Amino acid sequence: MSAAGAALWRLLHRRWRRRVSLLASGALAPGEDALTRAHLESCPSCRREHGELREVLELLARDPVHGAVPGLALSHLVARVDARIEAERGARTAGVRRWLALPAAAAAGVLVWVLADRPAAPPAASPESPGAAVSEEMLRRMERVLAREQTVRYLNDAQAVLVTVASQARDCDEESGTVDVADEADRSRDLLRRRSLLAELDASEVASAAPVLEDVEQMLREVAALEACARSQDLEAIHREIGRRRLLMKIDLMARELQG
Amino acid sequence: MGRLARGDREALAPLMERHYQRLHRIVLAYLRDADEALDVVQETFVKAFTHAGSWQEQAEVAPWLTRIAVNKAIDRYRRGKRRWLAEQPLEREGHEPGFEALDPSPERRVLGRELADRIGRAVRSLPERQRAVFVLRHYEEMSLEEIAQTLDLKLGTVKSTLHRAVHHLRERLAGVRA
Repeated sequence: MSAAGAALWRLLHRRWRRRVSLLASGALAPGEDALTRAHLESCPSCRREHGELREVLELLARDPVHGAVPGLALSHLVARVDARIEAERGARTAGVRRWLALPAAAAAGVLVWVLADRPAAPPAASPESPGAAVSEEMLRRMERVLAREQTVRYLNDAQAVLVTVASQARDCDEESGTVDVADEADRSRDLLRRRSLLAELDASEVASAAPVLEDVEQMLREVAALEACARSQDLEAIHREIGRRRLLMKIDLMARELQG
Repeated sequence: MGRLARGDREALAPLMERHYQRLHRIVLAYLRDADEALDVVQETFVKAFTHAGSWQEQAEVAPWLTRIAVNKAIDRYRRGKRRWLAEQPLEREGHEPGFEALDPSPERRVLGRELADRIGRAVRSLPERQRAVFVLRHYEEMSLEEIAQTLDLKLGTVKSTLHRAVHHLRERLAGVRA
C-alpha cells in the first residue's frame, strides 16, 4: 500500500473507530448501526475493539450507582431546600436593608454635622448639597465592592482554567501525542478580555492583588497561545510553571483576602 | 414549573418528587460521593426556584434541571480539585483527588469493594466533559441529541467526546473482570 493509501486508510479507519465506540454505547441511529455492524464483519481489529468495549461497558453497567437511591427521604430534602431558599431570601433582604440604611445613616451624619457647634458659613459657601455628597460616597463604596467582587470572580474563573490545564490530559490525537485544550484556550482568551475590563475598576481597592493578577495573566496568555491540539510538553511546561509559582494556592489566599 | 416561576413554593415538592431521584443518580455517578451528591441535588432545586423566572415556558423542564445539576456537579468537582491541587501543587503522582477515605456504601459492599472502587476511580479519572457525556449516556440513557441539548454542545462534539470517554475507560479498566 502506498503512503497516501495508508494515510487514507488510517483516516477512514479512525472514523470507523468512532462509529464502533458509538455502536458499543448503543448510540447509533438504526441505519448507521446496520452499516457499522456490516463493517465489523470485514474488519477483525474493529470487531475485537467492539468486543472489548462491550465488555468494559457491561462491567460499568454493574456499577452500584445505577440502583442507588438518595440517602434522604424526599420530605427531608424538600424541607432542606425550603430552608435554603428562606435563608437566601433573608440574606438578600438583609443586604438590601443594609444598602437602604446607608443613605439614612449618611443623612443622619450630615444632620449631626449641620447641627454641631461650628463657625457659621454663608449659605452659598458650599457648592455641593449634602445629598450630592451622600450619593458620591455611596457610589465610591459601591465601586470598591464591585472591584473586589469582580476581581474575586475573575481569579476563581482563572483558577478553574489553570486547574483544568494543569491536571487534565484529553488526547487530541493518540498517534501524535497531542492534547485537546481548545476549551481552555478559548476560556483563557475570554478571561484576558475580562482582565482588561478589570483594569478600569478602582485599582487601589485591589492593589494587594496586583502581583497575583500579573502572574495569572501571564499564565493565561500562555494557555491562550496554545493550539487547540497542543503538544503535551507545552502543557507540562505550563503545569510546572503554575506549580513553581504556587499560583493556585496564591489565588485561593488572595480570593479569601478580598472577600474579607 | 409555571407556578414555581410565579414564586409559588408549594410547587417545589411535586417538581422534586418527579426529578430528584434521576438527578441524584446523575450527580452521584459524576461525583461518586453520596453526601456531595445530595448537596448538589439540593443546590439544584434551590437554583431552579430562584431562577425559575428565566425558564421559558416552551422549554422542557427535565433537560433544564439536568443542566443545572451537571453544572453544579462540575463546580463542586472543581472546587474539590482546586483544594487538593492548592495543597500539593508540586509533588503530584498524576492521580485524581480521591474520596477513598470515605466509608464504603452498602452498595459497594454488595458488588465487592475492589471492583466498585476501580469503577469509581476510572469514571472519576475522565475529564469533566467526557464524564458528563458518559454519565448522561450510560447512567441516564439519554440520546446523543438530548445530551447535546442538555450540555449545549454540538452533536459531533458529543459523539467524539463519548468515543474518547469509552476508550479512556477501556484503558483504565483493562484487566478488570466482574
